[in-house]
Amino acid sequence: MAETKTIALTINGRDRKVAAPANATLLETLRELGYFEVKSGCEKGDCGACAVLVDGEAIDSCLALTWTVAGRAVTTVAGLSLGGAKHPLIEAFEKSGAVQCGYCTPGLIVAAQSMLKDTPEPDDDDIRLGLSGNLCRCTGYTKVFDAVRDAAAVLRGAESQA
Amino acid sequence: MYADFDLVIPETLDEALEALAGAVGGGNGGTQPLAGGTNMIVDLRARRVAPSRLVGLGRLDGLRGIRIADGRVRMGARTTMSDILRHPDLAGHAPSLVDQARVFGGQMVRNAATVAGNICSGSPAADAVPALLALDAEVTLASPSGTRVVPLSEFFLGYKRDARAPGELMTEIAWDIPPAHSSNRFYKLALRKGDAITVVGVAVALAAEDGKCGTARIALGAVAPIVKRATAAEAMLCGQALTPELIDAAARQAVDDVDPIDDIRASAEYRRHCVHALTRRLVTQAWERLT
Amino acid sequence: MTGAPQDWTRAPNVNLRQVGKPLVRTDVPGKAQGRTRFAGDHVMPNMLHAKVLRAPKASARLTRLDAAKARALEGVVCVLTAADLADRRAATDIPGQTGRKRLATDQQILVRERVRYHGEPLALIAAETLALAERAADLIEYDLEPLPGVFDPVEALKPGAPIVQGTDNVVATYKVRKGDLEAGFAEAERVVENTFRTQFVEHAFLEPEVGLAWVDENEVINIRVSTQVIEHFRAIADALGVAHNQVRILGSMVGGGFGGKEDVTVEIYLALLAQATGRPVRLAYTREDSFFGHGKRHPFVITHRTGVTQDGRITAVQITMTADAGAYVFLSPYVLLYAVVAGPGPYRIDNVHIDARAVATNNMYTSAFRGFGAAQACVAHEQQMDEIAKELGLDRLELRRRNFLRTGDEIATGYAIESAVWSDDCMTKAWAALGERAPEDGPVKIGRGVATYQQSYGRITWLHDTSEAWVGVEIDATVVVRSGVTDIGAGQVSALAQIAAELLGVSLGEVTVYNSDSATTPLAGTTTATRALYMTGNAVHLAAEALRGRLIGRAAEEFGVAPSEVDLAESRAFVIDAPDKSMALKDLVGICASEGIHRSELAMFRAPFTGEIDPETGQGRVHPDYAFGAHAVEVAVDTETGEVTVLKSVGAHDVGQAINPAAVAGQIEGGAAQGQGYALSEAMIYRDGELMTPSFSEYLIPTAMDMPRVQSIILESRSGLGPFGAKGIGEPALTPVAPAIANAVADAIGRRVFELPITPERIVMALREAEPRKGPR
Ligand SMILES: Cc1cc2nc3c(=O)[nH]c(=O)nc-3n(C[C@H](O)[C@H](O)[C@H](O)COP(=O)(O)OP(=O)(O)OC[C@H]3O[C@@H](n4cnc5c(N)ncnc54)[C@H](O)[C@@H]3O)c2cc1C
Ligand code: FES
Ligand code: FES
Repeated sequence: MAETKTIALTINGRDRKVAAPANATLLETLRELGYFEVKSGCEKGDCGACAVLVDGEAIDSCLALTWTVAGRAVTTVAGLSLGGAKHPLIEAFEKSGAVQCGYCTPGLIVAAQSMLKDTPEPDDDDIRLGLSGNLCRCTGYTKVFDAVRDAAAVLRGAESQA
Repeated sequence: MYADFDLVIPETLDEALEALAGAVGGGNGGTQPLAGGTNMIVDLRARRVAPSRLVGLGRLDGLRGIRIADGRVRMGARTTMSDILRHPDLAGHAPSLVDQARVFGGQMVRNAATVAGNICSGSPAADAVPALLALDAEVTLASPSGTRVVPLSEFFLGYKRDARAPGELMTEIAWDIPPAHSSNRFYKLALRKGDAITVVGVAVALAAEDGKCGTARIALGAVAPIVKRATAAEAMLCGQALTPELIDAAARQAVDDVDPIDDIRASAEYRRHCVHALTRRLVTQAWERLT
Repeated sequence: MTGAPQDWTRAPNVNLRQVGKPLVRTDVPGKAQGRTRFAGDHVMPNMLHAKVLRAPKASARLTRLDAAKARALEGVVCVLTAADLADRRAATDIPGQTGRKRLATDQQILVRERVRYHGEPLALIAAETLALAERAADLIEYDLEPLPGVFDPVEALKPGAPIVQGTDNVVATYKVRKGDLEAGFAEAERVVENTFRTQFVEHAFLEPEVGLAWVDENEVINIRVSTQVIEHFRAIADALGVAHNQVRILGSMVGGGFGGKEDVTVEIYLALLAQATGRPVRLAYTREDSFFGHGKRHPFVITHRTGVTQDGRITAVQITMTADAGAYVFLSPYVLLYAVVAGPGPYRIDNVHIDARAVATNNMYTSAFRGFGAAQACVAHEQQMDEIAKELGLDRLELRRRNFLRTGDEIATGYAIESAVWSDDCMTKAWAALGERAPEDGPVKIGRGVATYQQSYGRITWLHDTSEAWVGVEIDATVVVRSGVTDIGAGQVSALAQIAAELLGVSLGEVTVYNSDSATTPLAGTTTATRALYMTGNAVHLAAEALRGRLIGRAAEEFGVAPSEVDLAESRAFVIDAPDKSMALKDLVGICASEGIHRSELAMFRAPFTGEIDPETGQGRVHPDYAFGAHAVEVAVDTETGEVTVLKSVGAHDVGQAINPAAVAGQIEGGAAQGQGYALSEAMIYRDGELMTPSFSEYLIPTAMDMPRVQSIILESRSGLGPFGAKGIGEPALTPVAPAIANAVADAIGRRVFELPITPERIVMALREAEPRKGPR
């Protein structure tokens, strides 16, 4: 049986000590801890439903072993809005109707957040590129493009005010 | 996950080499490096590999990053596809490498997938490899007893077999910045535009000298057991002023240089057809930029 | 209906305050913030983890199955094989609400002797951890002796073919005999004949099947599961041999269905394991399990032989259809029927001859999928229309216009359409929205295509479909709706809330919907067949209207006016012509409560009921009504590599009344993507029955990089049978997309690929046939 070890990491802004075996994926660990917003859709990197931010960069948590994120900051969609106000991406996904069954949504929002760091003013093709690892079977992505553009504008506005 | 293994995550390169030393390299079992995990975790889950121990490279920050100096590009083994996309200068002289990074997986995979992992995965469909082959890249392999440099064109020995000695770690991929009068391109043909396995990958690099083609490199992915250069086709172009007829003839020669298979994605016949069409197209485009 | 068609363009100008507005759906904030708990997001103390062991062969005899080693593994609590189960079978038919005799469609629960398809379950395992359950699966020993199999429906019909189902593999047949075919062809000046093929398709909902079951203190088996159909508790109880009231299904928000969660999936396995162990059991399919674990879209081979006059009037059509039903019957007979009804398309054709059959093979079984046979029919009839137009040298849209059904015309089964048929309007608008044509560039050719359709909404009328809903007003004037309806992501629950809010004069936020629990919510029927809004929307409408009547009646008394002078809005009751005469809804409800006026209502909506169609002629009513619309696309085709890029995609549909236009547009956009995958990249490939594409890296649904922005054009005839004149959009959104793309590709390259998916390779091969000297040796 794989060795189990306790590692320290930050999840959604909270410092946590987490016991996990060597062969646990971050997806398995997060769901075990109750972060059910991190979804499992394929467990082989094809769908993006499990995407989380690690130090601000989106990865598929099903492809990361838990021990490898020791000392890092992990953020799920539920951790984006920390500090009161709803995160502009979440707000925009709601308002644009970019959510149908919602199973892909947490991963899409996390991927969009990661993409906007590199591309704060994305056009549709930038969004396509940034979200091509997130499968959505319901929406056809049209309203997702709207949502990400709207959120990007809000985030740019917030940036320029700060 | 079902697979059972030990995991060590060294803090320094020496520790990593130590941990890998004595590994029964490649294939199944033994100790194996773990980089982005985008091949390794999938293979573990599918039970295609069963290492007893993984050596995580995630803390070896010295292995990550792109340095350009003295006419040479040196890329750390852990450099990710996203790092390539973010780099301000690569698009200028290695557009083929940037192009492949754009069509590589999806964002999350690009954020994790490393160049060395791509090369060492041994997949004939590995997308970074054609571009790197066409750039005449070399790879550095390290072990506790020292390092050696191997041209990428000599790295692949056969399907999923390469020049790594057991326990050797790839630390760097490097190539000379292409000369001023040169052009390189990459095209990935797949059954879907986003995040799909390559059906045919073509990289072309040409350098012009006095209105003629000085050097030519054509590297082809997913059409042979390894990513392959079409050397006979390259030879037809070298030293010639390229005409549509010559380019077409070379593209036909490239078809003879490969040995594709039928699989669920495409037939060998279609792959051959596309090797011809895409080689012709990419050589033409590269040449047009030079003249 | 006879006489002049009704003019639906002058639909009554209803004064709607909530319905028709693009409100944020009630379910959306929870989903976007990651708070929504799907069926897989529930755990219980002491819970076991389950795994299904599947047969790695498509046709075989199980000669030995030994689970001793697996049972001996520490931490394995239970292994069930067929030998451990009573000899019961699972019904795979439509869950009857009518007591109508079931078709003989039952399936073994676990393989007893014969394996009929790749992936058929051999054993169930429950263990303390998932890893242990997986290890135990490895330890189960079995021998499978290969049996001859049959993997093609045409082969399966030949004498001497291995028999998979029944006596001759024929699972269902339907025929239509309308008018005089001979006379029709005699009148024709041209006859066009073509054969079209479609593939196995996977639903690819993002949430794999999952459930959690436990037995409670009353011996009731509770199953919380991702399903489109909570009414399956009956079939599950029958399979277990317990009373119907001893099984409870609790739904959750469903992570996509599209018909793939219409049949029973994990429920029976979960119930058996929970029964056997006395502990809660969770079973979550992996993606691979999911690809193995539910029926696919039927591949069809459809031949159209069409007689047409030189000026483009269709005088006769003869259609044959053969569908691959796979290894078990499931919903094949119904899918086939839908394909037959939609067979000729939305055209008025007096002489129609259809022969259709569904045939069993050792391929994966096939069942419901958005479009339900009508989608496959549309792939054929719309490509055939383009081929006819080409043959006649007539504009493709004009040919359609000359043949479109109008209100009052009879469809293939002889039923005369009573609602609006706005096919022409939809087609014209969709086509116009394509705008300027993209320029061609070297080997890249541009093409355009359109397709129209006739898609039923609501169930077959002889299934006697009903739906129930309960609506109540709390003392603080908030509203509660209870209905069994499942929400599979299209906003089913939110639409009900919007209807209740409209009629009771409150905002959407003041309505709570409890849904999808067979123990506590009135049964609404399935979320399938584009029926949820039509049926349950009407049930909520009925209940809310009754309640509204009572509230208004009491308010009118208070105001001293007639009830017809009172309205409800913004949580107030008021006199329409004297709005200052008003009271808070809360005060009105308070009065009602103090006087014992009933503040809730349980209503049942009944669809039109009929007998079955005539088996010899196929004539009669099959569905309550039909929806009409069109989809248009523009594509770029690289004629050297065969790659297709969809540049523009426009859906225009008469939805009757959009309850929530944003949600309707969402359906159109999503349908455009699914239809595009169907046309270009998606295929479940079975070789000798064995699945070759068991993951999302082989089965390719469109990504964001593959999709253009989809444009939605919503037309509202208000002529439908649903609430406020709604029709439906769930299935129609998908149905015309694939043939529109096929037509666009043919337009671009001047050749047609007669088989879906239209892969780059097939395009290259089609072009090569045209010019045999091209391409390398
Ligand atoms: C959804 C998905 C999409 C993908 N799309 C693409 C694509 O478009 N194109 C493509 O080419 N590939 C694709 N891949 C495959 C994979 O992402 C790449 O091959 C990637 O580059 C592997 O890098 P990694 O860092 O993740 O390697 P890992 O998985 O960590 O390792 C891969 C192999 O390389 C070895 N290795 C890693 N680093 C070293 C080193 N420094 N020295 C020696 N050996 C080493 C490992 O031991 C292992 O055998 C995809 C994978 C997934 C899951
Ligand atoms: S579950 Fe991780 S990518 Fe699908
Ligand atoms: S909303 Fe259902 S998969 Fe995206």
